Amino acid sequence: MPESEPDIFLNKEGICNICLTYEHEKQDDNKEKLLESDLLKILDKYKGKKKYDCMVMCSGGKDSTSALYFMKTRYNLNILAFMFDHGFETKEAIDNVRNAVDILDVDFILYKSSFMKPMFSKILQTDSKATLCHICSIWYMDLAYDVAARYDIPLIVAGWTKGQSQTKKANTQSNKNHYTEFLLMSEATECFLNNQLKDMPQYKRFPKSMEEVLKRAKKRHKSLVISPHWFLPYGPEEYVKIIKQELGWKAPALSYPKGSTNCLLNFISVYNSIKHFGYTHYHVEASKLIRKGVISREEAIEQLKQNFDFETLNKVASKMNISFDDSL
Amino acid sequence: MNILGLSCYYHDSAACIICDGVLVAAAQEERFNRIKNSSDFPINAINFCVQQAGISFDQIDYVAFYEKPFLKFSRVILDIVSKFPFSYGSFIRNTPQWLQDRLILPGVLKREFAYKGDVLFIPHHHAHAASTFFVSPFDEAAILINDGVGEYSTSSIGFGSGKNIDLQKQINYPDSLGLLYSAITTFLGFNANSGEGTTMALASFGQVNYLEQFKKIINIAPDGSYTLNQKYFSLNKRKRMYSKDLITLLGAPRKFDTDYDQRHKDIAATLQFVIEDCLIKQSKYAYNTFGSENLCLAGGVFLNCVANQKILEQTKFKKIFIQPGAGDAGASIGAAFFTYNSILGNERKFVMNHAYFGPESTDKEIEIALNAKSLKFNKYEEQTLLEIVTERIIAKKTVGWFQGRLEFGPRALGNRSILASAQDSVMTEILNSRIKHREWFRPFAPIVKKEKANDYFKMLADSPFMLLAPKVIEKMKTIIPAVTHIDGTARTQTVDKETNPLLWKLLDVHEKKTGISVIINTSFNLKAEPIVCKPAEAIIDYLNSEMDCLALGNYFIEKHDEI
Ligand SMILES: [Fe+2]
Repeated sequence: MPESEPDIFLNKEGICNICLTYEHEKQDDNKEKLLESDLLKILDKYKGKKKYDCMVMCSGGKDSTSALYFMKTRYNLNILAFMFDHGFETKEAIDNVRNAVDILDVDFILYKSSFMKPMFSKILQTDSKATLCHICSIWYMDLAYDVAARYDIPLIVAGWTKGQSQTKKANTQSNKNHYTEFLLMSEATECFLNNQLKDMPQYKRFPKSMEEVLKRAKKRHKSLVISPHWFLPYGPEEYVKIIKQELGWKAPALSYPKGSTNCLLNFISVYNSIKHFGYTHYHVEASKLIRKGVISREEAIEQLKQNFDFETLNKVASKMNISFDDSL
Repeated sequence: MNILGLSCYYHDSAACIICDGVLVAAAQEERFNRIKNSSDFPINAINFCVQQAGISFDQIDYVAFYEKPFLKFSRVILDIVSKFPFSYGSFIRNTPQWLQDRLILPGVLKREFAYKGDVLFIPHHHAHAASTFFVSPFDEAAILINDGVGEYSTSSIGFGSGKNIDLQKQINYPDSLGLLYSAITTFLGFNANSGEGTTMALASFGQVNYLEQFKKIINIAPDGSYTLNQKYFSLNKRKRMYSKDLITLLGAPRKFDTDYDQRHKDIAATLQFVIEDCLIKQSKYAYNTFGSENLCLAGGVFLNCVANQKILEQTKFKKIFIQPGAGDAGASIGAAFFTYNSILGNERKFVMNHAYFGPESTDKEIEIALNAKSLKFNKYEEQTLLEIVTERIIAKKTVGWFQGRLEFGPRALGNRSILASAQDSVMTEILNSRIKHREWFRPFAPIVKKEKANDYFKMLADSPFMLLAPKVIEKMKTIIPAVTHIDGTARTQTVDKETNPLLWKLLDVHEKKTGISVIINTSFNLKAEPIVCKPAEAIIDYLNSEMDCLALGNYFIEKHDEI
């Protein structure tokens, strides 16, 4: 990572502090390496007890689509697939999910809402440093717990890959610690949620942080959040091939990081993060994956190359009546 | 039809999976959890096997486990014979209680990976016997099993034919050749279950001067059956396996990490002689009883390559097959094949002609591991790599050689190996002082092109698993001194072009450059460590020792001489 940024510095060996923070975690990571049999233990506890064994959160991306595929075909679970659309999902993403749930024959809820649009506009208009993706994830995790509670589903399955699990013990029930490198970002987000929403009564009950989401969820209905990718040794090369073949999955035309999220809002989020912090939460995740030996530095750099232009940004922003100039 | 075979809770835990009668994956738990001779439930090995087989856990039809009677699993006895409307071998009809379910293991399987299917318990020596006969190339063969400490059956002699295994004679604990060997091994200051090879090596330096004493310890009948005089043994103390009477008989034991007297060498030599004598008598008995010219061996005692060679030399057996995981790890393979062939009555269709059944690493994994340590590397085409590695070997460099799938069993067979020139005896010192730090007297083993083996060694059979120790041909002793042990033998591995083409090609390039088709092959690990499994472990060993270069797949790194 570049040293020009205030929160990142390189040590003598050229390893940045984010990577170093990760080093000590790697120690017990080896001991606590998750095996597929660990997943089976968890599934065995919940399988066949309720109407649905699990709810799979679908985005239409490769990770969540393959998660859905594994849960249905490899573990024979009774699944409710759940997709939310805040108005910025692409048609291709929604088609990917529709295809998958049809072929796998699983129950499916698509929740489309413009509830979040005013909040997103506010962030962009006030030039707040709050990260759109953070706000969005707070919203959808709260939503996910809500739906899981509504249908009494004990397991929430996300398509998070190894670097995206912000928890050590593979479940979010015990998630307390933020990584230091996320601190600045989450502080900005919390600051926005606490201060900027006072004139918007519709967000009165909106959680102020991910911790709050988890705290509320715990009171409401205990659901465990897991991802099969934490337990399976298969890399994206393998499962992308499978879902292309079995589910007719199509890779998005444009995504960031490359071959990953294609939510339209994500592009703006990335643009803003780089403007405000010099990096994005994807950079943080990638650093961890490099140190963990999951991907190579070159791969990460390739994936994190900015590959979208102002035209794309403005097309998205126009949905919120905002425009970007290219003066920056 | 997928059968998961397991071995665990004693020492050397392992798992394997056979799909429709073909072994597709097998590995020891120690390679994953990095605890040498680990006896833990082999959960990592199981995960690897299932994923390597490309199946999901619920596609496992049977779990086969070898029985360890002394573990006293038995609390609830369920007769599940009725579940198997198949024809059994004669043995099964005689002793139907072998199918008794055990309470604990199914519970463990359910807890560890939610398995609720059938669990079969295979008598320990039937598992060993199946691990060698059912995967041998023979339609019929005499079978000899001899294993370790604390077993229930310790020696078995039997006959295998088609899908049947008939163990006719058994000797039971506490009479045990394995016990005797391990007890004397601890007497000589090495660890039981891992130091036996050291005892075997030390034996070559001694004279058989303690026969009178050993006759008091073990009484061997002409048919190879034997009894031990229990007053010389004491299994209660964990590491020490002998009693005060043995000290009175043989003198003071050698303390760990002290020098070797001639007496210690002579005791080792006598022990080796007595064991060989007993095994040869058992083999002769088996030959005379069954009339087959084929012999199948398994059980930890047959990791003794010197004794195996003597059997081949001094009996009329023409062909021999030894399970590469001759110890209890291999019993996992036997349990699975006994289930498939003997219990379920399926035809045999698999020959274990190599031992490369463990995990392998992709280029990407290797590259990531190298990058994680910020190492500069080159990636070469195969031929270039072989040329470079050969040049380094000729230049008396030590080369870490990490290729293809990990070996099953205790020996590194050229996929997780350290290679060096066999042509200069200085290489043994270099390997010992810079990397392996083993006892000075332990020999290094050669690999040789299978078709050239007889040019160097008095081979009586192929030795793909490094379990024979043929004599080095007289005129070759000075040509390949680094692999010629003091007794004039070498613990040879013959390399087959079909089963390990890359290693064979390396020997070929070496032969073209030097005229010699022999290289030292020693296991890729540092002292007291299990053999490396993943690229990262190989790189750590490379960095933590004075190994000169490392070939990981097609990737090559080397240390440059610093001034
Ligand atoms: Fe055994």
